[in-house]
Amino acid sequence: MAELGRAALVVSLGLSVYALVAGAIGARQNRRRLADSARNALFCSFGATLVASAVLASALVRHDFSFVYVAQHTDRSLSTPYALSAFWGGQEGSLLLWLLVLTGYGTLAVFVNRRLLRDLTAWVVPVLGGIGTFFAFMLVAVSSPFNTQTAPLDGAGLVASLQNPYMVAHPPMLYLGYVGLSIPFAFAAGALLSGKTDERWIVATRRWTLVAWTFLGFGQLLGAHWAYVEVGWGGYYAWDPVENAALMPWLAATAFLHSVMIQERKGMLKVWNMVLVALAFELSVLGTFLTRSGVVNSIHSFAKSSIGGWFLAFVVISTLFSVTLILWRLPLLKARTKLESALSREATFLYNNLLLVALCLTILWGVLFPIVTQLVKGETRTIGRPYYDFFLRAFGLPLLLLMGIGPLIAWRKTSVRALVRTLAWPIAVTVVCGIALAFAGAGSSKPGIIAYSFSAFVLATIVLELVRGTRATGSLFQLVSRNRRRYGGYVVHAAIVLLAIGIAGSSAYGANVERRLTLGQSATVDGYTLTNRGVTQRTTPRATETRAVLAVRGDWKGTIETGSNQFFNPPEPAQEVAIKTNWWRAEDLYVIADELHPKTNVVYVQVLVKPLVNLIWIAGIVFLIGSGIALWPDAREQRRLVTRLAPARA
Amino acid sequence: MTAIALIVGAALAVGAVVLVALPFLRDPAPVDDRLDAPGAAEERRLALVEERDRALAALKELEFDHRTGKIADDDYGELVGPLRQEAARTLRALDEERRAGPSAHEPKVRQVAVPAVEGEAVADEELVGDGETDVADRQVVDEPPIGPLEEGRDVQRRGVAEAK
Amino acid sequence: MSTRSPARLIVALAVAGVLAVFLVYTALAGRSTPTLTPSQVKPSTMSGRLSVVGIVVAPLRGDSHTTNGLHFQLKDPTGTKPQIVDVVYHGTKPPPLFRVGRSVVVTGTYSAGRLQGTDILTKCPSKYTTAPTKA
Repeated sequence: MAELGRAALVVSLGLSVYALVAGAIGARQNRRRLADSARNALFCSFGATLVASAVLASALVRHDFSFVYVAQHTDRSLSTPYALSAFWGGQEGSLLLWLLVLTGYGTLAVFVNRRLLRDLTAWVVPVLGGIGTFFAFMLVAVSSPFNTQTAPLDGAGLVASLQNPYMVAHPPMLYLGYVGLSIPFAFAAGALLSGKTDERWIVATRRWTLVAWTFLGFGQLLGAHWAYVEVGWGGYYAWDPVENAALMPWLAATAFLHSVMIQERKGMLKVWNMVLVALAFELSVLGTFLTRSGVVNSIHSFAKSSIGGWFLAFVVISTLFSVTLILWRLPLLKARTKLESALSREATFLYNNLLLVALCLTILWGVLFPIVTQLVKGETRTIGRPYYDFFLRAFGLPLLLLMGIGPLIAWRKTSVRALVRTLAWPIAVTVVCGIALAFAGAGSSKPGIIAYSFSAFVLATIVLELVRGTRATGSLFQLVSRNRRRYGGYVVHAAIVLLAIGIAGSSAYGANVERRLTLGQSATVDGYTLTNRGVTQRTTPRATETRAVLAVRGDWKGTIETGSNQFFNPPEPAQEVAIKTNWWRAEDLYVIADELHPKTNVVYVQVLVKPLVNLIWIAGIVFLIGSGIALWPDAREQRRLVTRLAPARA
Repeated sequence: MTAIALIVGAALAVGAVVLVALPFLRDPAPVDDRLDAPGAAEERRLALVEERDRALAALKELEFDHRTGKIADDDYGELVGPLRQEAARTLRALDEERRAGPSAHEPKVRQVAVPAVEGEAVADEELVGDGETDVADRQVVDEPPIGPLEEGRDVQRRGVAEAK
Repeated sequence: MSTRSPARLIVALAVAGVLAVFLVYTALAGRSTPTLTPSQVKPSTMSGRLSVVGIVVAPLRGDSHTTNGLHFQLKDPTGTKPQIVDVVYHGTKPPPLFRVGRSVVVTGTYSAGRLQGTDILTKCPSKYTTAPTKA
């Protein structure tokens, strides 16, 4: 069976190369049949990759340990869903997943657009073929999932903390996001190569970008939730390079989503959009490079592997390609109109973009800093958490404010007078909230109270927009369904605000206390009194579970168990924290058992109180709803696109 | 290698070859092997249509923002004129292009069907319905910024369209 | 209506603003921590905040919660160089994955030939997929 997998990958590689070469020639020489043939090759490469994926998936489910990959990442005790999730658990499998998603997305995007924008699509095929060639080459020649061995009796197993529904969903979702950014990139490159640099490529890829961006964002929240619940250090984001690797392309894609609106309406920022989409794509490939190469120290990093160099070469080559393309077509990217006023919606979109890209680049600098210092000074220096926290506040808080102001400013220009008039009510709400919060004790953290106040401001502006709109159209449903992109966007803004409130609450406020408790001893933290009722130990087929039993009184009453598990196969320990959500006070009581002594019943606990942390997860749901509204298909728009962009046949 | 694997592998290889060769097999001696890209004339019309849609969309958005109170009456008065003129200009340009007709275009093997290119003059966002703006679609409107409509502000707010 | 677009001015000001924020930060608070392997640590000349990447060497003595702290040593991750670094770690108990033979990053203050560690980052052995943990 492994031979079939290998063969399928070789076929996929061959087809990708053909799509690249024949597609480029067909597009360049305006040869329809050759271009169609290349396009079919792209479709077939998806089929071949699907076959290879099916081979790996079946090997995983069948526990076929003659596959080295299967033996490395699963064992007989794994249930089918977790055995399947090992597909993307290792380097080779995750590369295969990347290629599968790339060819799948590529096939769908080119198929849907096969009658529209023929000249542009003719160039999209070779670009996608080029990307596919790289990944297929890696899978065939450098990092194959189909290496075989004499089958051992049992495999190495999957680490217990990864046997978790979140970890099953998190990587594929991220990949659907990362790889999804290749589509707008390919269409942008296609626009530049074909010389058709008007807005049509943006209109054609609008939904793709939104879908990829949504998956990437939601996937990150899934990862954060898993870290909070499973890993158990009390946080959800550590500014780890691998976490940043997903955040950076997401920030670039957010900027891109906003600036294309300007290009569609005003014909401005054409060069900027090309740069942004290339940046988002390069960052997503760079992210894979950072994760897989072991070049930076990370709690996530896999072993140092050989693919690092290849990925770096690919990033360098594709960046050079993008830069050359943009510079070559610069004359075609002249703006149609000019920015008229610093106080206009175009300008606020520009500020928003600048802040997002600034944040993205500062994170990139922080991630690359160890590598840069190593090259320049011969000594590796790492940048810590305070750097990232500072810039998140420096750029994030103004961004939050802009989210509220932007929708209320008119296009082209607004007078200060008009702006003040529109903002009067939200500003009043904000001031009242700020004062109330200060009285409630939120003044203990300046960034925290600022974040809260800005959030109140944005929520007030969103409510204002909805109220005004409903009053004008008569029904909220009508309003939203007739303007899905705009109001879907507002719902997404609301989600970001909830996210901001949740992050501010759980990081700027609350408590973090460590205590040693003997049997019967109590500790009081922020309104909760915890009493040590002893340490228990029990053995299950999978692990030895050690728990400290603590009785809780005060703001929440009950008993909690916190501790760790020592698993048997693979023999690894895992933290098992206790999290109790106090919905009335909107906070989480989070207890980690640092050290447990079953014989003496002594326990070292770390008690954290995390206010408003659950808003972060709620924000994820609201985010999906908002995206869904914005993505909701519009029959009229579709008809118009088709009749407009498809050439008629005689 | 199992029998299934062999069959699947063979089917994959054969299928790939067939699909890749299909465009050549289907059409060995084509009349026209060029990509179906729009010709210069079609491009021109497309560009005009897109310009018209953009102008109408901007106008509709302005109306909506005015109606919801985001833009004050005086600002509206200042902004609506140029937008209306722009919309009128694009409608005119499109009309002229249409009237010029196929005779003005280079002969092509594939003729462009006019209605297909036109499509619907629908704004990107249905902020305000077609009948609710002061500019009726597909009509040439050319009026000074301050006109009789401004006097009937209350009439405007109730969403009564006035076709000229 | 102004005939000159303020766009260039806005962009220039914004870029300047970002750079200013950046410079202010690095001037006032910017601290990066050298991350070294034991073979790169020079006991005679180095002092101050430091991170050391290495493999934990037995024996582990003491308790991180007590004043004496948890004592262990770190050896070079490549395994080819002989230098080791003495570590005294204080703080919460190292994460469950911490054990002899694991690759870790210990951050702390280096003085008098010894690293006073306050933070441990544990990496999973390369054979497995990761289970990220943090002290």
